[in-house]
Order: sequence, then structure tokens, then C-alpha cells
Amino acid sequence: MQALHEESVDLIFGYPGGAALHVYDAVFRQDKIEHILVRHEQGATHAADGYARSTGKPGVVLVTSGPGATNAVTGIATAFMDSIPMVVLSCQVASHLIGTDAFQETDMIGISRPIVKHSFSIENPNEIPRVIKEAFHIATTGRQGPVVIDIPKDMTAPDKKFNYDYPSEVDIRSYKPPVAPSDKQVQRAVDAILASEKPVLYAGGGAISSNASSELIELNKILRAPVTNTLMGLGVYPASDPYFLGMLGMHGTYQANMAMHNADLIIAIGARFDDRITNTPSLFAPNAKIIHLDIDYSSVSKIIEANIALFGEVKNSLNKIISKLNDGSNNHNPEKFIPWLNKIAEWKALHGLNHDLYLDQTDNNMILPQQVVQHVYQETEGNAFVTSDVGQHQMFAAQYYHFDEPRKWINSGSMGTMGFGLPAAMGVKLAHPKEEVVCITGEGSIQMCIQELSTCLQYNLPIKIININNEALGMVKQWQDMNYGGRHSESTYQNSLPNFVELARSFGHEGIKIEKNSDLKEGLRKAFSLKDKLVFVDIYVDPSEHVYPMLVAPNGSLKDIWLGKDKKA
Amino acid sequence: MNKRKILIILENKPGALARVVGLFHQRGYNIASLHVDAVEDVSQYSWLENNLSINLKPNEVSEMTISTTVSDTLLTQILRQINKLIDVLYAEEKI
Ligand SMILES: Cc1ncc(C[n+]2csc(CCOP(=O)(O)OP(=O)(O)O)c2C)c(N)n1
Ligand SMILES: [Mg+2]
Repeated sequence: MQALHEESVDLIFGYPGGAALHVYDAVFRQDKIEHILVRHEQGATHAADGYARSTGKPGVVLVTSGPGATNAVTGIATAFMDSIPMVVLSCQVASHLIGTDAFQETDMIGISRPIVKHSFSIENPNEIPRVIKEAFHIATTGRQGPVVIDIPKDMTAPDKKFNYDYPSEVDIRSYKPPVAPSDKQVQRAVDAILASEKPVLYAGGGAISSNASSELIELNKILRAPVTNTLMGLGVYPASDPYFLGMLGMHGTYQANMAMHNADLIIAIGARFDDRITNTPSLFAPNAKIIHLDIDYSSVSKIIEANIALFGEVKNSLNKIISKLNDGSNNHNPEKFIPWLNKIAEWKALHGLNHDLYLDQTDNNMILPQQVVQHVYQETEGNAFVTSDVGQHQMFAAQYYHFDEPRKWINSGSMGTMGFGLPAAMGVKLAHPKEEVVCITGEGSIQMCIQELSTCLQYNLPIKIININNEALGMVKQWQDMNYGGRHSESTYQNSLPNFVELARSFGHEGIKIEKNSDLKEGLRKAFSLKDKLVFVDIYVDPSEHVYPMLVAPNGSLKDIWLGKDKKA
Repeated sequence: MNKRKILIILENKPGALARVVGLFHQRGYNIASLHVDAVEDVSQYSWLENNLSINLKPNEVSEMTISTTVSDTLLTQILRQINKLIDVLYAEEKI
């Protein structure tokens, strides 16, 4: 606990058990770090993850051995896939029992190996301070990620006294992430930018991890080029800026995907050409040169070959590009991009997201899910932290809630973990108690970590849960509609859904059910007016609605796009 | 596709070997043969000591040789993935 305090940890999320009893006694006998008792270890990891994504500081988790550790695995993998800094202390049976199939023994180091950035096993109590220091260093530097520390029970026994000495610095000789690219590479990148006529800035989660939002905005004050963000990058470039094209990829906007496809230069900024972005890699952006800014060597030229690689902190790389563009030797004339921007404006006018379609309908028709997100956006004036689960509702949230700041959109992008939204919202709310925190979820996903409603009562976390209820595993159903002749195999529940309003009340919260268009605005207004209450807003929407645009897959490129049920671009 | 040998110098710590082997499996690379030994005579690695400004002690690091059949681009990717492992000091194709 002392070592965690030295790392400026103020909150940990956890759940006790046999192997963790010594540590929990230490938790009890201190008052510097607050411990949040979740209701399931998956909730602890997602909550720590939400805390980390919204603050940039590492999330910390404490679990017991065996089932405690395995329950944490989904959350560790979720953090790993999205490169989120996290330190997980997983307790273990006593050293002399390891390898004997002891009660609640699990090889956590083995189980977690493919889903951690690194892991440690404590073999001697006096290693604890150094290992904790190294774990935080590894989790928060380079390409960030979760680190597991496996701690056998005897290592934390109160009779094991040692000279506590917290190292002030870390030096891991085999771990030296790149800091900034060479001047030569930066000049090559600048030359390519100056030579281009149809560039796109494509920024992802790495730009958020590197806190490079202001540098990106500054760069584009000079360039005045179109910018798109990945699902993970939303907010890093302000959505309300005229140069913003919206999200790209599988459910990205028409103009963003068309701009990428037709670009002559793509500047990838902390983004990794994931398969939701490229569609078929061999058909991706056929005429584009690629400049790739990344901290992870292995992310560059993995899927799409980069012509110019800038290794280092994305923030530093952007700063170096900005300095070069400003030093007088490189003259950029933003006007040359105007024909390109005009072309993109045409695409947007042709098939851009139609916001007006969904707003302010006061009739008694079924509510459309897009409309729900737009009303939430208006009620919160675009200022809320929004966590999400996985499915159609997640894509509608990404498309229709416009993020002007980084770290406000919190979702499981790469793992796509249903159940993430509610516990992540708890982590966000604990980190930002005065801010509005909204969880946009679906009736499928919310049931995967619904037990955390109890945690929300214990710690008084007035989150607003917006349950976009289409009475189905909507995203699965959409794929079945599109690719499996409408055979809805196991994607509906045959009237077995709980009464969510009653459910929320039984957990001590407030619940509101909305079924008609005409009640939507009023209902949401009421929910947001209950400032001190967690409100579960259960909104029944048109179950036949699909998410569009949608890239044609498999074998499609970025210009092969479904725009509606029978409409292809 | 060519047969390649990869030389890896890694910390001689518990679990380090499993991380390298696990990586090959996770990423779908195959291993044709594998050899690993603790390095007793560290003088042969003075170039690495100079490169990284470190001092090696006997048996502190292990030397691992893996042969695998891959294309050029995949080899680059494999080497980058191995180098990313925290316990790895050096990984290159052995020619
Ligand atoms: C843990 C987990 N299991 C399965 C899936 C596969 N999956 C992706 S979306 C989805 C449906 C989600 O349903 P719901 O939460 O109601 O959202 P909707 O698509 O209806 O908006 C499923 C089952 C997943 N992403 N995560
Ligand atoms: Mg649903």
C-alpha cells in the first residue's frame, strides 16, 4: 500500500478473498488510498480502465487468487487491446503451495501472458517496492498497457519484515521505448506533406494516450487539411471543427471513407490500420503515400506498408513537424487543398449522416436509436463523458454524439467487450465526480455487468444509464439480416427481458421507461434533472433499425459502402 | 518464404522463455527449431554491452536461436514483436 501511495495512486478497485487477506488488512489500516468494492472482478478491471481512459493515469486493481484472478481476465484483455495503462495486483496461494493444485490456485501469469504488456511474480518481499515501481513505469510509458503482479500470500505476511526502500527512478535495461523521430525522417514527412494535394490526417487512440490533441489542432491550423478519427480516437480532434470528417471505418461516414480511399497522402497519427479501418488491405487507399507516427515499432508496416515512419511519442513527432513547418524553410500554402476539400464537401452533401431526419419528432411513431443519442447530446450540451457497450447502440453513439475533447468517449474498441459500459462509467464518475457521466448501452450488454448497480449505490455514483432497448442483440441480428437471409439465430430473447425500471429501483436507484417519440425529450430531461440519482432510462426503440453507413465486407474497399437496407454507394 | 535463423538475447529470468515461445504461437508464426542457453562467457557480447551501455554478468542473460520459415516482411514483423517483449535485449536475424 505504501508503494502504491508513492505512485500517487488515490483509488483502487478490488474484491477480497483468502490469498488477499494480508493485503486487505493493510488496506483497512491506511487512509491514503480509497478502495472501491465492486461486485464482480470484471467490474473492477473495467472500472479501473474507465478511470484510466478518462484521466490518463493508470487504473489499479486488486483481486484474490483463482476465481478472482480469472474473473479479471476479460477486463485485462480489454485494456490490453486498447493500450490502456493498468496495474493488476493478483494475489496468489503461498509460495510453497504453488504447483500443487492448491485451493484457489491458478497460474495467473500463464493465463494472462498473451493479454498483458508484462507481468511479474514476487519471489521475495523486499522486491515489492521495485516491482511496483517497474510495473507502473511499464504500464504508463511506450505503448501503454496492463501489467499483472502475481503476489503469493506469504510475500505479504505481516511477519515478513523488510527494509522498505522505494526506488526514486527506474531503469529497465531491456526496455527503451522510442522518444522522438530523427530530424531527417521529420523532413521527409514534411516534404511529402508539402508535395501532396489530397491529404487526410487519420488520428487514433495513440494520439489520445500521448495527450497530443492540442498539437494535432495546432498542426491543422497550419495545414488546413481534412481530419478523420478512429472509433478510439474520437475527441482528439474536435468534432465541431469544419475540417473534421467524422469517424472512418466499418461504420464511418461516407465522406471520411471516400477521402481515405481517394487520398494521395495519409498521415496516420497513433492509429494502427486495424481491420475495421482498412477493410480489405490490398484494396486500401490505392494511391496514397503513408506517413505513420507511432510509438510502437511493431504497429508500423504490419498491415499497410508505411512510406515514412516516425517512431516516438506522437506528441513529440507532431511538435517536430510543426516546428519544421514554422521554421521558414518550408512554405505551405493551404489554398492548394481547397479543390480537395470541395470534393469532400460534395461527398458529404451526397451521403453524409442525416442528422435532421432524427430530431424532434413529436408523433407517436417508434423511437429511432439515432434520435436517442441526439437528444442525449442536446440534453448534456455535448459536455458529458459517454461510456458505451458494444453493438448498434455503440455505433449510433459514436456517430451522433459529437466529441470536442479527448478522453470523453470511453468504449471498448478493439475487444468489443459487452459489459464494459457500466463499470467503466463508475471509474469515470469516481475520477470526475462533478461531471455528467452517461452510459449508452443496450439491453443485451447492460445485463453482462448489471450487478455493479449495487456498487453505484454504495459509493453514490449518479450515472445516467441510457438503455437503447431494441429487444435484441441488435448488431448480431443486423448481420443475420444482411448475410444470413434474416435467420435470427439466438439473437432475440422471447419476451424474457427484465423490467429494468423495477430492477433499477430494487437496487435503490431511479428508473424511467420511454416508449413513444412524444415522451422522449421530456423523459430524458427528467432523467438529467435528477442530479443526485443514478437513473436507468429504458428506451424502447424501433428494433428493425440497422447501422449505416456500413462497409461492404468481405472483399470490399473503403469506397464500397452500404448506405441503407437496399442502397449501396 | 525462406528458412531463417533468429538470434535473441534475453534476460535469464523465470518466464522469459515462455514469453518468446508464447508470442510465436499467439501470432501464428511457426518454430522449426529452438535452442536456448545461459551465457556463461559474456565477453562475446561486448558489442551489445557497448550498444546498450550496460555490463553483463555471467549467466545473467540467455542466448536463444530460433529457426523459422517466413517471408521478408513477416520476419521484420516477428523481430519487432520479439523486441517489444520487456525481457528481450536484442533480436536480429542471424546470418
Ligand atoms: C462479451 C461479448 N459477447 C458477445 C459479443 C458479440 N456481440 C457483439 S454486439 C452483440 C449484441 C449486443 O446487443 P445489445 O447490447 O443489446 O446492443 P444492440 O446491438 O442491440 O444495440 C453481441 C452479442 C460481444 N461483443 N461481447
Ligand atoms: Mg439490443
